[in-house]
Amino acid sequence: MAWHDKDSWLTAAFAPNISTILISFLVAITLPILLHRWIYRRATPTTLPTFLLIGPSGAGKTALATLIERSSVVPTHTSTAPLSIETLLPEPYVPASAHYRSAGDPAYERARRFLLLDTPGHGKLRHFATKELSNPENVRGIIFVVDAAAVADSAGLTESAEYLHDVLLSLQKRYTGAKTSKGPKEIPVLIAANKLDLFTALPAHLVKSHLEKAVSAVRKSRAKGLKDSAIALGGGDENAIEDDRENEWLGEGGEGEFEFRQMEEVGTGVVVRGGNVLGDGGADVKAWFEWVGEQL
Amino acid sequence: MLDSFEILTTSGVVLWSHTYVPVGANIINSLIRDVFIEERIQPQAEDAGSKPTYRKEGYTLKWTAAKDLGLIFVAVYQSLVHMTWIDKLLDNVRKLFTGLYEAQLKKEHTSMVDCSKFGPYFERQVQELEQSADGATASSSTSVKLTPPSSTENDSAEESAPAQNLQRTQRPLYDTSADSTPVPTPDTSRPTTPAQSHLLTGKARPGGKLSRRDRKKAAGMGSAPVSSGDEASIKRKGKGSAKRNRVWGDFGAEEEDPSMVLDYSQADLRDEASENEALEEIKPETWGRKTGKGQFVLKDLDEEMDAIIAEQNAKKETPAASTGIVGSSLGAIGGLFRNVVGGKTLTKEDLVKPLKGMEEHLLKKNVAREAVVRLCESVERDLIGLKTGSFTTIEATLRTSMEKALTKILTPTSSLDLLREIQTVNAGGRPYVLSIVGVNGVGKSTNLSKIAFFMLQNHHRVLIAAADTFRSGAVEQLRVHVRNLKELSKREGGEVDLFEKGYGKDAANIAADAVTYASKNNFNVVLIDTAGRRHNDQRLMSSLEKFGKLANPDKILMVGEALVGSDSVAQARNFNASFGPGRGLDGFIISKCDTVGDMVGTLVSMVHATGIPVVFLGVGQHYDDLRGLNVSSVCRLLMS
Ligand SMILES: Nc1nc2c(ncn2[C@@H]2O[C@H](COP(=O)(O)OP(=O)(O)OP(=O)(O)O)[C@@H](O)[C@H]2O)c(=O)[nH]1
Ligand SMILES: [Mg+2]
Repeated sequence: MAWHDKDSWLTAAFAPNISTILISFLVAITLPILLHRWIYRRATPTTLPTFLLIGPSGAGKTALATLIERSSVVPTHTSTAPLSIETLLPEPYVPASAHYRSAGDPAYERARRFLLLDTPGHGKLRHFATKELSNPENVRGIIFVVDAAAVADSAGLTESAEYLHDVLLSLQKRYTGAKTSKGPKEIPVLIAANKLDLFTALPAHLVKSHLEKAVSAVRKSRAKGLKDSAIALGGGDENAIEDDRENEWLGEGGEGEFEFRQMEEVGTGVVVRGGNVLGDGGADVKAWFEWVGEQL
Repeated sequence: MLDSFEILTTSGVVLWSHTYVPVGANIINSLIRDVFIEERIQPQAEDAGSKPTYRKEGYTLKWTAAKDLGLIFVAVYQSLVHMTWIDKLLDNVRKLFTGLYEAQLKKEHTSMVDCSKFGPYFERQVQELEQSADGATASSSTSVKLTPPSSTENDSAEESAPAQNLQRTQRPLYDTSADSTPVPTPDTSRPTTPAQSHLLTGKARPGGKLSRRDRKKAAGMGSAPVSSGDEASIKRKGKGSAKRNRVWGDFGAEEEDPSMVLDYSQADLRDEASENEALEEIKPETWGRKTGKGQFVLKDLDEEMDAIIAEQNAKKETPAASTGIVGSSLGAIGGLFRNVVGGKTLTKEDLVKPLKGMEEHLLKKNVAREAVVRLCESVERDLIGLKTGSFTTIEATLRTSMEKALTKILTPTSSLDLLREIQTVNAGGRPYVLSIVGVNGVGKSTNLSKIAFFMLQNHHRVLIAAADTFRSGAVEQLRVHVRNLKELSKREGGEVDLFEKGYGKDAANIAADAVTYASKNNFNVVLIDTAGRRHNDQRLMSSLEKFGKLANPDKILMVGEALVGSDSVAQARNFNASFGPGRGLDGFIISKCDTVGDMVGTLVSMVHATGIPVVFLGVGQHYDDLRGLNVSSVCRLLMS
């Protein structure tokens, strides 16, 4: 039976049969609907304000994230994948944008909702965080968690400071490299000095001064260090190709000490607040929630 | 005996755990670091029969993963104990857990999974597997569950075989003692999950005789083939959950009405939103109804578990079945469509062809075959069972996954900051010692001079030690470099000198002398050049161990050529192993990178072989042609 035969399926497909009409009708109706559902089912765009949890491994980022989500801590281990959590700012704290709204107002509820994105802190897995930082569209703030007990010794301090330096530098680059004259929207940084329940932990103001000093040291040794291979080998990012050491210098140009204050000029307020996720007296994260409230 | 069982997500949250003996969090953390992140220990392939194992501080860890859901299941037990049924337990628990909570686990933007009711399922699994292991090995008496009291102290006995013998001889003694005094067995003294155990002991009534009888009854009711007359085996079984058993006795004695108990159970099964407190109340009852009345309730749990496991098993076969039903041609079109639009669940077959292509691609980039195979395997392991995103083809998914794998392998765990290290070491009152090794002609001296130049730029006082006393002309070559550097140092600052003792002397001694000389003469950095050697030349390689001991460098870097092909893997391995136990290489310098264009695969090969990072790249003939590694640009080159 050839395709042009009278009762071949092709002939039937073009004949004014009721079944043919029905089938083509059905296909015409359902196909767009199915396609639409297919595409839109997964990619629900999130426009929720996002807070990034960044910091060296073991600082307590995941512990903090679970605490915020369920107001109780669960045991955690080293993370190998990011974790995003949709949550509400808990009750006594008020989002800055909703100060004059009443509790029942749906807009008030909406203002309290935010996303928390926990990133792995292990040296090999920081690309998750770097990727978020390179395109911080919905990022409303960065919570940089440090272990206040670990920064008491020099190895822990250096690790935290190096990571912090890189985070601040990428924020600075984003600001100075912006095409618009107004500059991109500010992304403030909270340095959360965690584990203050521990006997060996430094208080928040010492964490601040230690980190400032260590970031100065990192900044200096980065400037003196070897250039990296991107230009020599090619394969670098096209728009990051200019090798300008000025660009790599965090904060003010001078040789003086680095201070977090210097970051304000590039649209990044940095504050250090202490707290603890675990501890005998329960968690103490008031200062951090207040900060989150101020940014919402 | 099992010490701890944890179900955690890849994002680090422990969803559910059962602890018989508290195990430090660092044990599982180091499993994650060593195996999953740094990949220092290679897991065997899963189909090799048994689950991969990891040993740490006297513990053995076995694990399995549910990749699509981002779950890891870890069992921790003492290495001295030989456990045969852990693999099965891991498998069953994985199937149960994913079957029960799949919907919750797939929810986005949350880490919460309400799996508080998983306890009974788990306990029942353990019980069943323990029983069947008992039954299977009762006659040969190789089943070992007791932790022998003396051997726990014995750290040197790592092998499980001697431990087994030990236990075999000790068991009779142990059982009799347990019979007369039921309390001081090692297991019962171990705390279980904190909240529950307190509650249970609070409720339990000390009734040795009664509980013993009930325990026997409980064991008799189990479906596993165990002769209830075997006092010893029941005794051992009871120990694991002795406290619970007593509670069963309680409820068995008190609750006479079976229907009432049944109601309870149904209520608590339905009540999803039960509070934690309520939950703890339910616990004993779950166990109570099991032994107290109605064997059928126990069967319910078993049947439910079997059903879930069967369903999970069946799921694996469904893709094939469904395409069969719909018709293969339509299925193929759908597959093609899905490949373009995305949303396809990847199987091994889907990946074969793209992986082949990826393999070729990487081989062309001069990555050693061994490294390519491993990378592809790890990417395959990651991808099987995953769904592709919207509008992404398999190839694109594979690409991103490979890029991630390359980034991970090339990124060092901690970055090397030479200048700060020098500062720290000098603050301790001694010079910083760095030595360079490598095969012949890869550019050891050149790269050493480049490093020296970098040091001079930072105003250090550098002593270069000529410890290549083997190849004629080596010292002269260094002398030329030092003369040039001296010239340059007038402009750059710093100071440089050469330490040499001619040819034929022992290199290790010269190196040690150089270090002493440097500290006497106020040099703060010592750079030691060594003789080039073939990595398969036993005699020369073995002298490196002495060199490492005598000179004791702060850092040993190996120079490798970017041009070298598959030999790079063996080079890196042999040099890394040549310094004896406890000492290895600290980093690689890859030279002549400017000559290979985008074929920078050697970097990957060397890091893959050893897990040691690339710290510098040589990119030219000049003293300032030394670069730090930019991981993302190298990845881009490799993937281009
Ligand atoms: N004492 C004390 N311990 C804490 C505190 N916060 C977290 N920890 C512990 O610190 C350890 C590490 O916490 P995680 O949240 O897993 O660390 P992380 O920052 O997510 O680490 P990575 O996932 O590796 O990046 C856990 O064992 C926590 O229990 C705290 O406030 N006090
Ligand atoms: Mg974490």
